[in-house]
Amino acid sequence: MTRLAQRKELLLFPVSIAGGLALWEMGSRLVPSSLLPPPSAVAMRLLELTADGSLPLALLSSLQHMVIGYLIAVALAVPIGILLGRSPSAATALEPVLNALYAIPPVAFVPFLIVWFGLYMEGRIALVVAMCFFEILINVHQGVKNIDRGLIETAVSFGSRGVPFYRMVILPASMPFIFTGLRVGMGRAVNAMITAELFFAAVNLGEMLKNTGNAFDTASMFAIIVTVSVFGLVCQEGVRQAERLALPWHHREAP
Amino acid sequence: MTTLRKWVLRFGGIASVLVVWEIAGQILGENLFAPPSLVIADYVEMAQEYNLFHELAGSLRQLSLGYLGGCVAGILLGAAMGRSRIVDGLLQPWVSMMFATSIASLVPLFIIFFGFGLAFRVAIVFISAIWYVLLNTYHGARGIDVDLIQTARAFDASRSQTFFKVLLPALYPYILAGMRNGLAHAIRAMVIAEMYVIIGFGGIVYNAGLEVTTAPLIGVLLTVMVVGVILTEALKWLGRKTAPWYEMRQAG
Repeated sequence: MTRLAQRKELLLFPVSIAGGLALWEMGSRLVPSSLLPPPSAVAMRLLELTADGSLPLALLSSLQHMVIGYLIAVALAVPIGILLGRSPSAATALEPVLNALYAIPPVAFVPFLIVWFGLYMEGRIALVVAMCFFEILINVHQGVKNIDRGLIETAVSFGSRGVPFYRMVILPASMPFIFTGLRVGMGRAVNAMITAELFFAAVNLGEMLKNTGNAFDTASMFAIIVTVSVFGLVCQEGVRQAERLALPWHHREAP
Repeated sequence: MTTLRKWVLRFGGIASVLVVWEIAGQILGENLFAPPSLVIADYVEMAQEYNLFHELAGSLRQLSLGYLGGCVAGILLGAAMGRSRIVDGLLQPWVSMMFATSIASLVPLFIIFFGFGLAFRVAIVFISAIWYVLLNTYHGARGIDVDLIQTARAFDASRSQTFFKVLLPALYPYILAGMRNGLAHAIRAMVIAEMYVIIGFGGIVYNAGLEVTTAPLIGVLLTVMVVGVILTEALKWLGRKTAPWYEMRQAG
């Protein structure tokens, strides 16, 4: 790409944001503001909710079940993914069952999770685990399955096996895929965070969203939804940066 | 691995999961985790009580409206973004933003926009399916062989001819992959929306969850699982039938 084209693309970003906001502003003039609030009203509400501390506080409380659920999902999915990737027999035996479970919408498990874990923290954590587990597992499994055979055969022919084989060959070779799984799973975790708060007992951000919805306060709803989306993007970018730091040898174009 | 060994492993895997489930179910009891034997015994009665298949058919009809709309919009936008840097630059920030947005968080907002009826469910499914189709089409369109387009231009093909006769067939495998992704998310979105307002199939999931025994709930979950697998396989079959070169390219 020429430098001129690159500069043009950089220029397009603010144009896109400004143009989209202008369209939104115009659109909001055509309908009652309680239905579609103008972006200026959403920005104002976002500032208010941030200034009085309610939005940051709710987000901070929401983080608890998100982080715990995400860590449990990672701790389960990464080893199982490596195992499935290394053992074609295990993968063949478990794939039909895993695919079948994956076909069930995670939210449909909520009544079940309520029976097992209750309406509060434990239930929310369980939903976060259910929603991230498969995304991480699939990425790790596919990655480990496709590790360069030459790499494995060289290590094996030099007598590498057991724990050192996994620690020094399989794990480093799978790291890029594990990170992809971590990043995709992080997106799902943020998603699950707000989903759990809407489908179990409403608390934190979910409670705010429900209450503002009942009051037809769409400006606040937009403010909350945008906050969660941006938070999700920031978290995923965080994992990408962590990958760049942890695996400096692995250069890859961001998808 | 031989084909026989594969099938033995597959059946062994499914059979042992069923056995473990049965034993766990017997120990934990039907209030916590109904065993498969009970789920099957209860299934017909549950399906009649909740009018399961009627509701499911109704939900799937609404799903197909939103899903097909999302596919068409996703293909058009994705192709436009993939072929034009300007369109790409203009839409990309908003698409990334929407792609990261949780469907569940949109549900309360969409209720205010559209009410509880047909439009609400169609809109939720539409907004959940479109981005997967769009992004796959977009990546396909970006990587498309420039010679194809230039040959079409050299032969004086019009813009619409180039789109329908050259671009669309070349993008077909990517579109199908996107549609498969989108379908899984469309089904999830349908269940999310319906569970939230307790109507249709999702409403059955909610109501079955209120019963003391978990047998009906597990029956409902198995139903949506089978439907999801059948629809996904149908799309795969359609892909193999209409674009056999795609499977070969994937395998190679």
